[in-house]
Amino acid sequence: MKTIRIIPRLDIKGPNLVKGIHLEGLRVLGKPEDFARYYYENGADELFFQDTVASLYDRNSLHDIITKTAKEIFIPLTVGGGLRTIDDIKNVLRAGADKVAINTAAIKNPQFIREASLKFGSSTIVVAIEAIKGSDGKYLAFTDNGREYSGLEVVSWAKKAEELGAGEIVITSVDKEGTGEGYDIELIKSVSEAVSIPVIAHGGASTPQDIVRAIQFGKADAVTIASILHYSVMQSFDSVSSDYKAEGNTSFLNSGKIPKKITPSSLNEIRAALINAEIPTRI
Amino acid sequence: MQKFQQEYNMIISQKKILIIDYKSGNLFSVNQALTNIGLNVLISSDADDIASADAIVLPGVGAFGDAMKNLHNLNLVLPIKQAVESGKPFLGICLGLQLLFTESEEFGYTKGLDLVKGKVKRFNLNNSEGESRKIPQIAWNKINRINDNTWNNTPLQDIEDGEFMYFVHSFYVEPEEPVGLSETNYDGQNYVSSIQKENIFACQFHPEKSAHEGLQIYKTWASINNLI
Amino acid sequence: MKQENLEAYYGLPQEVKFCSKCVTSNQRPTSAIEFKHTKDSKKNTMHLDEHGVCDACRNAETKEAIDWDKREEELLKLLDKHRSKDGSYDCLVPGSGGKDSAFQAHVLKYKYGMHPLTCTWPPILYTDYGYKNFKNWLDSGFDNISFNRNGKTMKLLTKLSIENLFHPFQTFILGQKNLAPKIASKYGISLIFYGENEAEYGNPIADNATSLRDKSYYSYKNLDEIFLGGVSIGELKEKYNVPMNDLLSFLPADAKELEKSDIQVHYLGYYLRWTPQEVYYYAVENTGFHARPFRTQGTYSKYNSIDDKIDDLHYYTTFIKFGIGRATYDASQEIRNKHLTREDGIALVKKFDGEFPDRYFDEVMDYLEIDPNHFRNELTDKFRSPHLWGKNESGIWQLRHNVWGGGLND
Repeated sequence: MKTIRIIPRLDIKGPNLVKGIHLEGLRVLGKPEDFARYYYENGADELFFQDTVASLYDRNSLHDIITKTAKEIFIPLTVGGGLRTIDDIKNVLRAGADKVAINTAAIKNPQFIREASLKFGSSTIVVAIEAIKGSDGKYLAFTDNGREYSGLEVVSWAKKAEELGAGEIVITSVDKEGTGEGYDIELIKSVSEAVSIPVIAHGGASTPQDIVRAIQFGKADAVTIASILHYSVMQSFDSVSSDYKAEGNTSFLNSGKIPKKITPSSLNEIRAALINAEIPTRI
Repeated sequence: MQKFQQEYNMIISQKKILIIDYKSGNLFSVNQALTNIGLNVLISSDADDIASADAIVLPGVGAFGDAMKNLHNLNLVLPIKQAVESGKPFLGICLGLQLLFTESEEFGYTKGLDLVKGKVKRFNLNNSEGESRKIPQIAWNKINRINDNTWNNTPLQDIEDGEFMYFVHSFYVEPEEPVGLSETNYDGQNYVSSIQKENIFACQFHPEKSAHEGLQIYKTWASINNLI
Repeated sequence: MKQENLEAYYGLPQEVKFCSKCVTSNQRPTSAIEFKHTKDSKKNTMHLDEHGVCDACRNAETKEAIDWDKREEELLKLLDKHRSKDGSYDCLVPGSGGKDSAFQAHVLKYKYGMHPLTCTWPPILYTDYGYKNFKNWLDSGFDNISFNRNGKTMKLLTKLSIENLFHPFQTFILGQKNLAPKIASKYGISLIFYGENEAEYGNPIADNATSLRDKSYYSYKNLDEIFLGGVSIGELKEKYNVPMNDLLSFLPADAKELEKSDIQVHYLGYYLRWTPQEVYYYAVENTGFHARPFRTQGTYSKYNSIDDKIDDLHYYTTFIKFGIGRATYDASQEIRNKHLTREDGIALVKKFDGEFPDRYFDEVMDYLEIDPNHFRNELTDKFRSPHLWGKNESGIWQLRHNVWGGGLND
């Protein structure tokens, strides 16, 4: 049996959970610890925390939320964003993370993947790839939240990352991310078929059926999801009254709106869709 | 917070649980889980600490060969064997299960602790249908009773048959003694996912990453061994 | 070198000070009457109060206290008065399908039931994703008049504005601003809607019919009072052989045309609480807007002003002239909207401000027939105000002061 994992992805800026489109924008949705706890209690398989402004400061500042989470939440936690050195990784793991996701640092110095996987174990190292489709149809790898072109082509980079010891790949379609236009199935499939390590798909889910398609046709081994889960969670609890004095624009939160094209879906609804499609998953 | 927890635990449980630190993998989660259920936990690689502990936990993630090298370099092999022979409760997790065995296929037969007879093998690159298999298995998977054997008086006694646990591994154990407690199927490959041999309980999956059901296994292990 | 002894060009304040809340400086020009703009013009610049807070930040604070429900009521009243009953155009939205005009047109039509006509003064050089955004905008349901001006004159005026004023964007600003009233007048539309900008200063209405007529070029007694590209009309005619007719599209409307009209220019940002980032999300969801597929040079953002290849160069010139690059503009706005902390803003300015926009530079220089070397060296250096720029020990130009206190003289 081969089960699929559903991994809520939390983009975090400072004290807030944020959500962009095309990895752009910092719309505040609430407090990450509230969402993390909710997902744990409702059957998430793992959690993924991304520090959205880490590459700006060349450091990861999620230590507090990582430790808080690791104390109460007993499912695997992957942390990404701004991890540049072996020490950065060590500190994040010590704070309570189980796995780390690296992108920019790996592209700038591919040997870093080998170094990190030897030191911490392959299965601890996830290589994150941000893909944007070029005008000739090729998928190109970017860094810094889809801002800087690396000069690398996605599939060959994924293969190289596997060779160097990555334990998993998380593949993000920057074009689809946050849009609710569905996954880029072609992208996911091309990466999943190119490597024999697990591939986690990210970017574009609008409904549970999109997730089914990502697995059936895209051959994803896991999915990490933000929009449809977060907007569903927001219907269940009150994010508005939290403390945003320190930072955060709350115009969206106060508007009570749901973005179009996004069908807020709970973890249970997603699992039900998988089971209906006869895709094994944890129940 | 940690210190307070430990002091508090001293009052309610004088038993000392030792997690062996042999530089193979992150101890944070195991420590966190055991502390969370109220155990008095110490992390150490000191032989005296091992000898004086009331129970031993051998965790681990990573390569079998490196781990064995570390155990030898840190002079932990003998203390571990003595701890097992002394009859004190012994919990092995993931790599900590594999190391108990006779030898591993990794990089051409590496010797293990030989406390359980059997081999450690790698998942085949292809499954029985000839399709490429994703390795490592990083997934939740079901643990099933072997041949309807009971789980009573084992740490799995409060767990349902077929419960999901979290696995991260490229190798699996093949015991040559009847110690298997649960079996699991990954992409067509059946394998033993936990064992019990006298005072040893060891599992391939990570209870500390398996949510409430995982924590339950630790709780049961602690209570049937009178550690709590 | 003492700051007081250094000459400050453009009438800029001698001392360089940074806002204590955002990251802009007192060197930032506020408004300019573009067709009076010559190389000798003195700029009005951003005012910092006694706490070091700039006017734009102060204004952002007042936004909190505004009764937006009441403002929306005012808008509804205005719109109800003008909404056509036969489906003819009742308002004009100038823009090119960027996030702002996309939002404005869409909200006016689909939320408030108006019948907007959109009008576009096209970019000098369209980016391909910018053009796609334009088409997607129209595909979401809008009629559009695009005024494709005389390219020969536009090239000349753009080239002159760069040479004389180091201001690549002047022709665009002139054209865009002056197009709307002309189209409104021709189509008998009495409402023009802009987005946010000057609404920051609490103005619901930018211009009404009278003021527009006052701004008509005919109201200038002496055509030599009007300068395009830093060159007077007279000189353009004599020295550059540009007939008056070729300049009309860059000038305000003919007074006679405006006579019969009763046009009002409003800012939606006065009536609706305007959060630029939310406007981005709205445009993505409703008009098929896509951010740039890579970071804009000189800043961190990907969705502000991305349809004109010369835009990146424009912000480079503001960096040279005022020490303020695109990252400063973007970050300051986002700080005011509470998306970023000042600390974030400083880090972004440090990382990106003043980055040379080489991506489209050669193409732009080629189009305008300017020697790239001349631009990068003599021309750029000509516009560096001594009170802002100095050379370090390696002979490289450096800002004397920057927002993180790491300038040459900080």
